[in-house]
Amino acid sequence: MATMVVDKNFERERMTSSIAMVMTLISFSMLFATLMLGYVAYRFTSVVWPPLGMQRASLEIPTLSTLIILMSSLSYYMSESSFLQNKLKAFKNYYFVTLLLGTSFMVSQMFLWQNLKLTGIFVDSTVFGSIIYAFTWVHAGHMVVGLLALLFLIPSLRGKRNEGKTQIWLKSVGQFWHFLGIVWVIMYFSIFIF
Amino acid sequence: MAFYEQHIHPKPTTFLSKYIFSFDHKVIGKQFLWYGILFLFVGGLMALMIRWTLAFPGQPFPVIGSYLFPETGGAVPPDTYAMLFTMHGTIMIFYAITPILIGAFGNFCIPLMLGARDMAFPLLNMLSFHLAVISGLLLMGSLFTPLGAAAGGWTSYPTLSTLIGSPGVGQTLWSLAIFVLGVSSTMGAVNYITTIITLRAPGMGYFDMPLTVWGLGLTAVLNAIFLPVLGAGVLLLIFDRVFGTTFFLAGAAATTGTGDPVLFQHVFWIFGHPEVYILILPAWGIVSDLLSFFSRKPAFGAKATALAMTSITILSTLVYGHHMFTTQMSPLLTQTFMTLTMTISIPSAIFFTNWLGTLWKGSIRFHSPMLFSLGVVFVFGLGGLTGLYLGTVTTDLYLHDTYFVVGHFHYTMAASVLLGGFAATYFWMPKMFGTLMNEFWAKIHFWITMLGLNGVFFGMMLVGYGGMHRRIYNPFIYEFTQKLIPINTFTTWSAIVMGFAQIIFVVNFVHAVFFKKQKAGDNPWEVGTLEWTIPSPAPHYNFKEIPVVKCGPHELGNPNVSGKDFQYQTEELA
Repeated sequence: MATMVVDKNFERERMTSSIAMVMTLISFSMLFATLMLGYVAYRFTSVVWPPLGMQRASLEIPTLSTLIILMSSLSYYMSESSFLQNKLKAFKNYYFVTLLLGTSFMVSQMFLWQNLKLTGIFVDSTVFGSIIYAFTWVHAGHMVVGLLALLFLIPSLRGKRNEGKTQIWLKSVGQFWHFLGIVWVIMYFSIFIF
Repeated sequence: MAFYEQHIHPKPTTFLSKYIFSFDHKVIGKQFLWYGILFLFVGGLMALMIRWTLAFPGQPFPVIGSYLFPETGGAVPPDTYAMLFTMHGTIMIFYAITPILIGAFGNFCIPLMLGARDMAFPLLNMLSFHLAVISGLLLMGSLFTPLGAAAGGWTSYPTLSTLIGSPGVGQTLWSLAIFVLGVSSTMGAVNYITTIITLRAPGMGYFDMPLTVWGLGLTAVLNAIFLPVLGAGVLLLIFDRVFGTTFFLAGAAATTGTGDPVLFQHVFWIFGHPEVYILILPAWGIVSDLLSFFSRKPAFGAKATALAMTSITILSTLVYGHHMFTTQMSPLLTQTFMTLTMTISIPSAIFFTNWLGTLWKGSIRFHSPMLFSLGVVFVFGLGGLTGLYLGTVTTDLYLHDTYFVVGHFHYTMAASVLLGGFAATYFWMPKMFGTLMNEFWAKIHFWITMLGLNGVFFGMMLVGYGGMHRRIYNPFIYEFTQKLIPINTFTTWSAIVMGFAQIIFVVNFVHAVFFKKQKAGDNPWEVGTLEWTIPSPAPHYNFKEIPVVKCGPHELGNPNVSGKDFQYQTEELA
């Protein structure tokens, strides 16, 4: 009987948080979709891109960032599935790898901004520069939120205590984390490559 | 769908946990109500200053004018005038209507009408209110900055709203305040949607929900989807102003590069058109319910009303272009937007006819909530019909940016929502505070408000049709507008009458909340939705036993029921 109650509790919490997370992600998607709408409008109304003889940003650092964020998504996935398979050591290890990769993504963004300045792309130098800086800022801001959410998982690293709740937290934070990865990949292809 | 029973939380005891950091949806609803009424007062005062300036240009505003504008001897200066209409619009839309209809009645009604003990995420709910307070402080703080508050209109189009048009810090604070409020509303919306999906009482299908919950739920969907769009827009505006990006600067305004000021208009109205439905949908829902409750009849075509509101919600996302007919849009686009806009009149006509069908052959009780609901039917009809002229390209080219637009959106957004909000306040007063407001003064309040309101907003449409433009400090410098001075004076006097009528409401409200000894019964209006099955005012746990729903919300006037003419939703359909 006791296990029944726990299961029912888990089921409702899982349901509630997954509905809420879907709505939250729809909201965040609309924010980034609006930015993309702006990008598309600027990109296709401009005769030459980048405008006014600007240099394109070099691709090395953005590519590195993309690899890092994809790897962090992968390690998060590994971490979550290790937890579900009850491999707690692997869960912990992959968690810290994710945290490390998330932080190094932020560091790579710092280098990106440094490098942009060196190549003469500034915030106020045409809408081209504005887009690169503003979009990466907004994304980086959300990455900070994502990293904070990762830190919120630290108490659950200690193990099996309150397993159902940990599972729900892992899933919700994971959805947000993968979402940020997807947004970055879209930005990488549209702003830096295309 | 999934239902679960929430725990009964221990009763909060300290002042802080009871009134400030309360998780209780009813307390948060009341907080939002007071917050909204406070801002309603501020926004209303600004409206009176605007009206005063239009009727008596250059004359000092009575009583407080000489304290507010000592440098001009009490008359509203031109730059302050722009600030006033900007802040009036912003405050009324984001800080008065949104908190009262969505914040207060959304929070208060949704769990009670669904048979839940609280929202799905009580902590999120509390944070949503606290963010709204921070946002309100940011906005009010901007009034005290060196160059004053934002003055670019509530739409704050660039380039007027960039550093070139508004160099002061006020516009930045405005954008920041809107952004924070957007976050707060989105948090609320996620909470509402989750609550409606997961916490309906056992046996309650979506069509057994009262239409109030339908309206509030659809509003929440629009909020969750479209507030982030405005969020992105004002974020880029903040970047333009603070970090020197050039998104909305073009031509000579931008030293280098090619921004696009019209892009902001697109982004603003992609959000802005759903926003007007965000504001009106809760009022529609409330009115649909109240008309049925006070006609003592089932709501005519309640399902059709719910579906009509849903299709309006969907259509509202596709029509934003009708705000921008004059921005050199391609004729193909303007005509597409016009056609889509006209399509909205079909579902609107459906639920409007349903309202009339509900009234038909009802045994109507003219209590104050009913009077206000009938008022909504009248003013919304008028507002909706005048919208047709603005949705049509040919007439809009003439009427664009005139007072006709101002009159139209005040009829639809301000008048309907205000009357709907009053109806809701009078109706749910017993469940919120345990007392009824004085009926006699409520009816006086209704009639003076109704007369004043129609005087103001119809006057606005008349002068707008006569060609008077909005947002002009002194429109009477033009010869053709000088004939409009008498109507403007009449409009202003109507506004003053309407403003003073609200004192009746405030006294009545404060008296009923704090001083009235006579308690209202558990179900003074004799209606059967779930919130009336529990004591008044609602206890902190709402429902001791989670109710089981067996029939719809509008089972009134059923001849098979003996002894009363309504039945509770927990009773088997007779």
